[in-house]
Amino acid sequence: MSKVVQEKSDGAQASTPDEKHDEPTPPSPTSWLGLDPTARDILVVSTCLKLLLFPAYRSTDFEVHRNWLAITHSLPISKWYYDTTSEWTLDYPPFFAYFEKLLSIPAYLIDPKIVNLQNLNYDSWSVIAYQRTTVILTELVLGAAVLRFIRGAPNPTTQRIISASLFLHPGFLIIDHIHFQYNGFMFGILLWSILMARNDNKLASGFLFAVLLNFKHIYMYLAPAYFIYLLRSFCLSPSGALLPSRFISLANAVIIAFLASLGPFLLMGQLPQLLSRLFPFTRGLNHAYWAPNVWALVTAADRVLLRLARIGQIGAISLNEAGLASTSRGLVGDTVFAVLPTVKPIHTFAITIAFQVIYLTKLWKTPTYKSFLTALTLCGYTSFMFGWHVHEKAILLVLVPLSLLATENHAYFRTFMLASIAGVYSLFPLLFTPAESLIKLVYSVLWAFFVFGPLHKRVYEFPRSLPFVVIDFLEKLYMAGFPLLHLFMTTLPLVTRSGPLATSATCVASDNLSCPETGPSAGTTKTGTSALEFLPLMMTSVYCAIGLVWAFLRLSVLYMKQH
Amino acid sequence: MRTQPFLSQKQTVQRYSPPSRAARTISTLRKAGIGSIRRSSPPRGPAPPSGQRLKASNSFRSLYDQEQTNPRRSSIMFPQRAQPPVGPRDEGGMGKRWVRWMHKQGLKRFVVLSSVLAAVWVKWAVGLGSYSGQGTPPMFGDYEAQRHWLELTIHLPVRQWYTYDLQYWGLDYPPLTAYVSWLCGIVGSWIDPSWFALASSRGIETPGSKIYMRATVLAFDTLIYVPALIFFARAWQGTRSIRTQELVLLVLLFHPALALIDFGHFQYNSVMLGLTLLAINFFSTGHDLLGAVCFVLSLGFKQMALYYAPAIGSYLLGKCLYLGSTKGSQLFIRLALVTSATFLVLFLPFLPPFAPLSAIRDPIARIFPFARGLFEDKVANFWCASDVLVKWRRWASRGILVQLSAGLTALGFLPAAAGLISAGWKLRKRAQTAQETDKEKEDAATPMLPLLPYALLTSSMSFFLFSFQVHEKTILLPLLPMTLILAGAASAPGTHTSAYNMGMLVNNVAVFSMWPLLKRDGLSLQYVALTVFWNHLLGYNPFQKPRTFLQYLSIAVYGACAILHLLELMITPPSRLPDIYPVLNVLISTPVFVFAWLWSIKRGVEVGWALGGIGASSSRHADHKISASSTVANGPSSTGIKENSDSGIPAGAKPGTRRSLGFADSKRRAPFRTGSVEAS
Repeated sequence: MSKVVQEKSDGAQASTPDEKHDEPTPPSPTSWLGLDPTARDILVVSTCLKLLLFPAYRSTDFEVHRNWLAITHSLPISKWYYDTTSEWTLDYPPFFAYFEKLLSIPAYLIDPKIVNLQNLNYDSWSVIAYQRTTVILTELVLGAAVLRFIRGAPNPTTQRIISASLFLHPGFLIIDHIHFQYNGFMFGILLWSILMARNDNKLASGFLFAVLLNFKHIYMYLAPAYFIYLLRSFCLSPSGALLPSRFISLANAVIIAFLASLGPFLLMGQLPQLLSRLFPFTRGLNHAYWAPNVWALVTAADRVLLRLARIGQIGAISLNEAGLASTSRGLVGDTVFAVLPTVKPIHTFAITIAFQVIYLTKLWKTPTYKSFLTALTLCGYTSFMFGWHVHEKAILLVLVPLSLLATENHAYFRTFMLASIAGVYSLFPLLFTPAESLIKLVYSVLWAFFVFGPLHKRVYEFPRSLPFVVIDFLEKLYMAGFPLLHLFMTTLPLVTRSGPLATSATCVASDNLSCPETGPSAGTTKTGTSALEFLPLMMTSVYCAIGLVWAFLRLSVLYMKQH
Repeated sequence: MRTQPFLSQKQTVQRYSPPSRAARTISTLRKAGIGSIRRSSPPRGPAPPSGQRLKASNSFRSLYDQEQTNPRRSSIMFPQRAQPPVGPRDEGGMGKRWVRWMHKQGLKRFVVLSSVLAAVWVKWAVGLGSYSGQGTPPMFGDYEAQRHWLELTIHLPVRQWYTYDLQYWGLDYPPLTAYVSWLCGIVGSWIDPSWFALASSRGIETPGSKIYMRATVLAFDTLIYVPALIFFARAWQGTRSIRTQELVLLVLLFHPALALIDFGHFQYNSVMLGLTLLAINFFSTGHDLLGAVCFVLSLGFKQMALYYAPAIGSYLLGKCLYLGSTKGSQLFIRLALVTSATFLVLFLPFLPPFAPLSAIRDPIARIFPFARGLFEDKVANFWCASDVLVKWRRWASRGILVQLSAGLTALGFLPAAAGLISAGWKLRKRAQTAQETDKEKEDAATPMLPLLPYALLTSSMSFFLFSFQVHEKTILLPLLPMTLILAGAASAPGTHTSAYNMGMLVNNVAVFSMWPLLKRDGLSLQYVALTVFWNHLLGYNPFQKPRTFLQYLSIAVYGACAILHLLELMITPPSRLPDIYPVLNVLISTPVFVFAWLWSIKRGVEVGWALGGIGASSSRHADHKISASSTVANGPSSTGIKENSDSGIPAGAKPGTRRSLGFADSKRRAPFRTGSVEAS
């Protein structure tokens, strides 16, 4: 933590230049950590709010992480990736395991039962308080990173709002502080890496990204952009000649990171086992709740076509029997289309690569920081749009780097706004309990209010031609649809309610990483009722997918047209 | 201003304009953070005549001025003038910075909306935690009591409400609570009948029922208490800037003690407090009858509102006196009629012809439980604190104790009641000499209005300290007027040291005094989070350069609180003294509450003096001459008592103009009126 504190004080110095009113203000003796009042306010407020969320709903990810504390504490390192005491086996890369090992030491001192491997589903106050506290503390890495972004930004006042918006992002609140994960910490590392790239310290940037990859491998989605950018702008001279010393130093840095992480397992010959844990290719196209991407739209189209075919409107369509079964099973498990051709992993892979190649070519030609940032966002976005078994939480991979681009101009801002609204709303089904519905809604609305309001004022441009006016109008219409959608979502269960609220608290173990929070037990209900039960989720997913796909197209066009 | 009082009347009129300009300059300087400059500025009038006359007519005022301007600060501040003043960003708390930011970002229309939304979020988030008596069969706690009332009111005829199974949380609040419970119960059983099924739902703890119960509190809070707060900011802080009003609202919205009790522990105090606040607001706008109705409703919701009754009754009586014999007696009769009618309507189901006359005994016996002891649990009031030394219950019978506590309570609120009534009487006499029309007087707000918050504080604090059967949660009642006073002072903490520090100290200690209760309810985390949040919102730092006795006292008290918390965390109490920590808590908290009670009496006396005190009648003449000659364009207010923004005495402004509450300086008005008020 001392490192974080050090970083924070650096960041605070950075934030002084934009304060025009009191530039010569001497640091007041009472200021702690050297933070300026605004940063302090945000830190205090967010910490207090997060403390209040301690008793909130927590998903099985909470137990997953508790179990990892127990695994890393009570087992020797050689057994970490073999243990199957709990169904929530360790499936993050080794740095995360080391991180859990580190956390398990104070945990043992606080309450030895936390790290007892056999003590499954332990949920006493001590473990809740401890694990939630670690999330708050490790998120300070994110806070320090966004604070550092303010110094050296072209417009520090605007960057201040963006930084605050990232630190207070409803995505982190929902996923980390209620649902339970450590995304704030890991996106903190990502932002540090991006910051290093901005500050022209590309070696550090590459190293930090390699470290990040060894914390959580989902960041591989972003790796192509890093690879191309570092290769082109760091390892090659502008004329295209290889700079061997730079290349070797970067390669060494990356290799060191990977060796530190994988080395022990390499020596023990456990690499295949580790990789099989990290990449289980046994899942379906869609997650239990469809992530709002292209496949959600395709699946929805398939369902609609099936309806039409059943009614008899479209006669000459051969129905896939497996697909029929798939639809009647609700949303859990593998998705097989009834009408449309079935998608295989290789297809999604090919499409993702094809899109990424386009952006990376552009990046190769213009290896600037801004271009890198956009390409990075688009890499993550492409993976989210076309990936196999994408989880809705992965939208943060898009929203976080996109936030840094928000004030480029009005077009970028509008993209950011659309993606943020749709992306955050698509996270809402993660918290299905009624008690948290007010929490997530009011928080997100307030966040949107405080972020979009000031930023919009700064970048607003009037649409220049008729098509743009039409697009502008349609986008506004789309965004205005969210309150209606939410109203529909909240009233529908009340109208078609069959039992008391909050029934689906049981969790189905169809997913290794996390529980399909939204899925009531699969295959138990009849098609009719299950269709009604799933209708709100399906609608959320499809409606958000429309916005996210559109924002994806917008960003792609913006990037490709940029000079 | 100090120099002004010594001018003769003639001089006052002639010299009026130049001093006012000078005063404006001074006020600008004060705004710039140089609080003490006027102390050093040379006297502009003739040199003050020394000796007897000064002391005779101004001794109190000068003392008071000294308190306000704080000479010790001036001696500290002055050498520091070479250094840059504290930047505007550092001054005030987070609330102030946030309001300023919102205005700068062009979001000022949304400040009220978003602060209310944020408060809703915080309150709901507190509600995620546990409640009183969660998982503790067979009796559970306050939550189950409230839930049980929802259950019994929807299933039983009205006559049985106050008699049904009294051993299991029998209804012991007045009928409005019962009607509200009935309404909530009807809606709740429409959603899920099992939540409030008769008998079988006892101790139900499903997530759904908990959320529904929490939602009812939030709904009533948002429908009654929050509008009352917005109304308060508009009505009582009307002369001040929009930003100040918003800050006042912010301070009140996130009040930690109320949020912890209503949304954590589980009660509906905000309804009772909101209705009382509405009453006060209506008084300030001159709608006395509406105010009286609201106050009776508040009484009809929870009998604890009785703590305010002496202050409110004396205020209305004082107003009747102030209005003179004709108008006053008219108002008196109207008030009596409206009040009795409201009571009658509230108790209608228990009165003939709906029920025999004897039926009224059931609710009355339940509402005033003298059969219970002097105090329950540990509560930071006089009886419990002194019980350490004097075992009251061994020493005296219950009858004597009831009488004793009633007597002490009455003695406690007497200064407030007397102050209000005598102010009304004095002001009436002065108004008569001024030949104001009765109509004008009736429309205008009553000049003794600024006394009201202090009187409310005195009266409710005296009830809390001395009356029978007090609960620790009841501290919420004195906290309301205290926080109203604080909210007015919080916008400029530097210039309102006394009210600001007192308000913060009492609020923090009040939350601290509820710690044993909150700990039992499993709300320790919320206790910490909300207190820190609120203190940061106000930018309160008691450890920064203490100057006054109050600030040193605050540090000592906080130190004691911190030590007690640490001890409790580390050492389990010895088996011989299992209650040692709650008792120590009481011993720390009670002196602070006694101090607050005395402070409120002192402030009440001061404000009363300023309203009808020495030299006031001659000041009126000076005023009239000014307005008659109309040589100076000094704003619309020229009748009645002038605002003394230096000492925090409010304006009895003209009809229709907005008034500022007495305890708060009006930053916008230059203190050029002061001189004429003081002239003698």
